[in-house]
Amino acid sequence: MTSVTAEGLKVGAPRASRQHGWWRRNWVSIAFIAPGIIWLLAIVVYPTIATVRFSFYNESATKFVGLHNFASVFSTDTILTAFKNNVVWVLIFPFFVTFIGLMVAVLTERIRWATAFKAIIVMPIVFSTTASALVWRTIFDLDPHVGVVNAIEQTVSDWFSTPGAYPLNSAIGQTAVSLASFNTTGAPGGALASKSAVQPGGTVMMGLTRISSATLQTLGAKTPVAPQTIAGGIAGVVWNDFSPSQTSNTTTIVSDEHGLPNLRLSLVNSTGSSVASTVTNSSGDFSFSHVAPGSYHVEVPASNFQTSFVGTFWLGSQSITPASGLNQTAQSLLSVPLIDLAMIISYIWIWAGFAMVLIGAGLAALNREVLEAAEIDGATEWQTLRRVTIPMLAPVLTVVFVTMVINVLKVFDIILNMAPGSSQGPATTLALSIYNDGFTGGIHSGVASAIAVILFLLVVPVMFWNLRKLKGGSA
Amino acid sequence: MNLFGRAKASRKALIAAVALTTVASMSIILSNGPALAASKKIGGSVSIWAEWTSTEQQDFKAVLQPFEDSTGITVHYTGKGSNMDTALDAAVAGGSPPAVALVPDPGTLDTLAAKHAIKPLASIIGSESKNYGTAWSALATYKKKLYGIWFKAANKNTVYYNPAVFKAAGISSAPTSWSQLLTDETTIANGGTYAPVSLCTDIGWPVADLFQNLFLKLNGATAYDQLATHKMKWSSSAVTNTFAEMAQLTGASGANLLGGMKGALADGSWPNCTTSVFPASGSPTAAMVFEADFLTSNVPSNYTPGNGSSCTLSAKASPCYDTFNFPAPTGSAYAADIQGSGDVAMLLTSTRQSKALIKYLASPSAASIWANLGGFVTPNKKVALGSYPDSVSKADARALTSAKAFVFSLDDLQVGWEPALWADMLNVLQNPSASNVTTVEALMDTQATAALGH
Repeated sequence: MTSVTAEGLKVGAPRASRQHGWWRRNWVSIAFIAPGIIWLLAIVVYPTIATVRFSFYNESATKFVGLHNFASVFSTDTILTAFKNNVVWVLIFPFFVTFIGLMVAVLTERIRWATAFKAIIVMPIVFSTTASALVWRTIFDLDPHVGVVNAIEQTVSDWFSTPGAYPLNSAIGQTAVSLASFNTTGAPGGALASKSAVQPGGTVMMGLTRISSATLQTLGAKTPVAPQTIAGGIAGVVWNDFSPSQTSNTTTIVSDEHGLPNLRLSLVNSTGSSVASTVTNSSGDFSFSHVAPGSYHVEVPASNFQTSFVGTFWLGSQSITPASGLNQTAQSLLSVPLIDLAMIISYIWIWAGFAMVLIGAGLAALNREVLEAAEIDGATEWQTLRRVTIPMLAPVLTVVFVTMVINVLKVFDIILNMAPGSSQGPATTLALSIYNDGFTGGIHSGVASAIAVILFLLVVPVMFWNLRKLKGGSA
Repeated sequence: MNLFGRAKASRKALIAAVALTTVASMSIILSNGPALAASKKIGGSVSIWAEWTSTEQQDFKAVLQPFEDSTGITVHYTGKGSNMDTALDAAVAGGSPPAVALVPDPGTLDTLAAKHAIKPLASIIGSESKNYGTAWSALATYKKKLYGIWFKAANKNTVYYNPAVFKAAGISSAPTSWSQLLTDETTIANGGTYAPVSLCTDIGWPVADLFQNLFLKLNGATAYDQLATHKMKWSSSAVTNTFAEMAQLTGASGANLLGGMKGALADGSWPNCTTSVFPASGSPTAAMVFEADFLTSNVPSNYTPGNGSSCTLSAKASPCYDTFNFPAPTGSAYAADIQGSGDVAMLLTSTRQSKALIKYLASPSAASIWANLGGFVTPNKKVALGSYPDSVSKADARALTSAKAFVFSLDDLQVGWEPALWADMLNVLQNPSASNVTTVEALMDTQATAALGH
């Protein structure tokens, strides 16, 4: 519309008849283009201008505040975190997605079921990002029973350290000492030992707590009985010293308590060396026979409590760069939360197909003669790829790369859906900050608009460059 | 079969109760002094806005129905959702506000009263103003004039627990003091099977709620208000002590939390954190969870309210849920101070119809109707406890009506740095060491000063 007016002015009144002619020649095109232009003005141009205006106004858009909103953008740690995360995404994601897209495109050229294979790789683009994010959230789940990544880690970890019969819960920082109850105390090396000394012919009772009823059930634990003395030997019982009916009773065995089966024990003499070992039966009873005179302690070695694997918190905010001890602002700018990597991997999975399709189209359009010439000249596959294919594909690769830069500058939905609540803040990006500051909780339209303007300024140059590149490519 | 029968019976009882209260409320309206009796069949219409949509909207319409029937006034209700404040602001500025509006915060009431956009109510509602305790009247008063009626309220001082898990750990009654709560945690942990607490962390707001409860119970409403307005510094000893007590509750490296600290951060998203205490199937893995009374809506429907003797651990048999008030230290003067939120009704345009409506909303008959439907508590103390459908909401209502002081969620008042406050709460939760607490408190003071200007 504006261009029409400008044209009219330029042409001027004296040439009215020619202007009339221009209208007559073009009215059909104008009539067709007008709804689109009006639509664009209403939903693209107007909101853009309004957003720029809001960024200079206060929260309720009633008072001009100059650059105040922009100042608070650059002084708010939560928004600086968003900048940092955007940088991390831009540095890692476009490169890898282009690289993987290239690899897949080159490799699928030479397999038999290429079309089927490509279709599978492309499929994630069709899925809603929300669905993909939820799938990947499950894949990276902390619990090895849920998350496949941690399940793999657990399997590998269990090869190297087999959990004991009574694994400590390292998730809550449990130690063997925290299990000690009646006549039991911590011993060197993470073991437990009986408090009082015992001589041959005596008995030992040791109470432990915090043993889960599920473990006891699995081991088939039975009600413990008070040990009977053995001549020349030492008898005893180790039991789970916790009774729901008598929570305060920690000195005697109560009928609803259980013995601890399968517990490896050793008999330690006064010099601290182990002289015998045994295993408790299903009611937690044990005995050492033919013990030489002397004073002994019964030890529960640490191997009984070997911890079970606790998953890697892939979706957590712990930094993979050394940023602890820095002040808040420096941490916002320098720490890279682990979840960033998990999300980037997921996002590559989503977009690799797109990269592959574009690069594949580029590959198909390559001049085969050059490739054949390289082959005839005796170049290896790798040399051909590096020296011939990639240079010839450079324009396409750049377009894919730059498109991905723009894409990732605006990254939003995968974070909202994949990060657990506690990681939402540390994993936030500019686009997510716009949403959170502008539309949730206390509404800060000014600050949100300022972020939007900054994001716009970041995207525009890349976009123009890309447009020019695309035009050049098609010409 | 049995279950089915019971559900049917209770539904019948509910319908009967609703019918009864409807009749009762109608008769109250009809016999309620000259204002309403004379206004019988006033006719005309009145507009009212509130935030309630979907189920809540239906419930509120049920509240309005007897009023419409008896007065002949048509009530146009609009549910504005979470945009209520913004929408009302715009409508007032645009000069076409609704006649009556319910807003979810006292700040809006003060702002509108200062602009003379709402009318004083004392002469309009008369003796109905006595239905509210002093804590509630104070919250609806601006410059010594009453401008609002707290129609609905939420209690954030609730702790939800699974009675069967408590029983399995040998604990027969809910804790009533802070130290008892900590002891019970140890007992449950000693049992080895259940984690004492499933902690909601989400983006930090549930941790802020927990902090606020604890701060209120330790320091009282006056100190709470000072902290909310940053007249008290975050680096003050009252805050430091609260963080120290909070660390007691979570235990060293999250020992009292389900899955430890990592688990609380990974699985603490709202409302996932409630399912380990009240699973829809299978057995619970944790004993209790802290959040406001809206948590009831996240408890699966097969759970019965209350701490009965038949409560079982299995979600299939007869599982139960119950609440206790967030406990204060023994002998604390602040045990009856309550944190929460609510909806206050205000009069924006004064017509015969709108006056009749706000008077009706202030009456116990209006609130009783919704109380009966469930999912609702009111600070209106004339609403009989018998109107509430179950023991959990009864206890909730009792706590609200007998509140000595009522404070609003502190984090919602931190305009401009609320998300930062949540992040800081998560930071202290993960590292409650004295040195980190000092660092974070200093940071919070900086953030609060930057946002609030002092």
